[in-house]
Amino acid sequence: MGIAWIVLISVSSNPVLGESGAQPGDVGRGRHVFFATGGCTCHTNLPGEGKDAPLLAGGRGLKTPFGVFYSTNITPDPETGIGDWSDADFMRAMREGLSPDGEHYFPVFPYTSFSGLTDQDLVDLRAYLASLPAIRRENRPPDAPFPFSWRATLAGWKWLNFEPVPLPDAPDRSEAWIRGRYLVTAAAHCGECHTPRTLTGGLDRSMWLAGSREGPEGELAPNITPDPKTGIGRWSVADLVWYLEMGIKPDGDDTQGLMAEVIEHGYSHLPKSDLEAIAVYLKALPAIEHDLRRE
Amino acid sequence: MRNAVPTFRSPRLFSRVITPGIVLVLVMGLAGSLQADGSMGGHADHHGSAEPHIQYRQAVMSGIGANMGAIASILKNRLSMPGHVAIHATMIADSARLIAPAFEKKVVEGPTDAKAAIWEDWKDFQEDIAKMEEAARNLAKAASGQDPAAVGPAVKALGKSCGGCHEEFRKPKEESYKNAAR
Repeated sequence: MGIAWIVLISVSSNPVLGESGAQPGDVGRGRHVFFATGGCTCHTNLPGEGKDAPLLAGGRGLKTPFGVFYSTNITPDPETGIGDWSDADFMRAMREGLSPDGEHYFPVFPYTSFSGLTDQDLVDLRAYLASLPAIRRENRPPDAPFPFSWRATLAGWKWLNFEPVPLPDAPDRSEAWIRGRYLVTAAAHCGECHTPRTLTGGLDRSMWLAGSREGPEGELAPNITPDPKTGIGRWSVADLVWYLEMGIKPDGDDTQGLMAEVIEHGYSHLPKSDLEAIAVYLKALPAIEHDLRRE
Repeated sequence: MRNAVPTFRSPRLFSRVITPGIVLVLVMGLAGSLQADGSMGGHADHHGSAEPHIQYRQAVMSGIGANMGAIASILKNRLSMPGHVAIHATMIADSARLIAPAFEKKVVEGPTDAKAAIWEDWKDFQEDIAKMEEAARNLAKAASGQDPAAVGPAVKALGKSCGGCHEEFRKPKEESYKNAAR
């Protein structure tokens, strides 16, 4: 029980803007952060509405083992989007999974990863989102059975599963590795799909990036640790960079599903140095043998 | 203490225990029916090898994938292979002409990821193939031209044409026949 209080207190006392010393948000830098997150594509209903889906206006159904949750409107519309939020509201949502009214967000929204984003990246991302067209569209409640549709339960979920992303100093590591760790763990939130979950839906960190059969939308998210048989052990840094740029695997095959979207609308727009950093970090992970196809 | 919230468990219980249970029952039922009529369904022989049409069209598609992989290998590793990208791209464009005849006969049972949509939307399928051929010819042209900056976007466009057709007409990896233990 003692641990619980410590976690709760540390969650609720996360610093918000004002104490952080971040510079005012910059749209250009924020665009970069936006691409690093994969272009926030979960907030655009491409599968349901195709190419004309209103950008970032939400309504995309994300199928999870707990029910279907609909992404929210993150356009600057003041009533149905996030236009009237302060930077502090935005940071609290991204870091603590709390709405401006203090409601818990369903953890299908990966604040669990975004808690590792820097203050500067968050205010910059906010500035970029605020520069996009406002679209009026009401958010949609989840199609999930009780108690998974009930936000109050999420306090318990957070207690069980949520710790702000730890990114401890790593003086022995290269700059590329440190940048790659930040991108993979916080911004690009790779672990949210590529790490299997525990019984209560938290990330199983002992299987970090070793792949999951229960990615959002019911997709299989492959093992991206460097295991030669079941992971990406045979992919070179050049293979990974090319993949994140082009969506083409070393065997010449293309990419489908959510990964194709986050490449097209996100990662492929990152500078090569960032893609290399991601590759360096992934190649240095502990290899975990985990064959998803035969599970 | 950490396991003291049982409310989250039930869906997992369903996916981990009950669903496999149902699958097991279904598989046992299927095995029973196979024994009863003594056949494997007529699309695979007793050694489980592919029906010839499946085998051929997979060979055609693999050839295209191999050429795509070769183009990628040259470009991402900056290999000095003058003229090769254009040749690989031309091979892909020529192979595009093999696809429709290879798939003409409808075979959907057996070790294949071809969706029935191929034959239901045969015209769309052919249009996608034509787009792919055009994208491959464009790449061949860009790769033999004077503007190296045009090659990257041409590769990307070709990759998108593969992906666009696969999205409609090939089963996703979650449903692939390759997932079954061999």
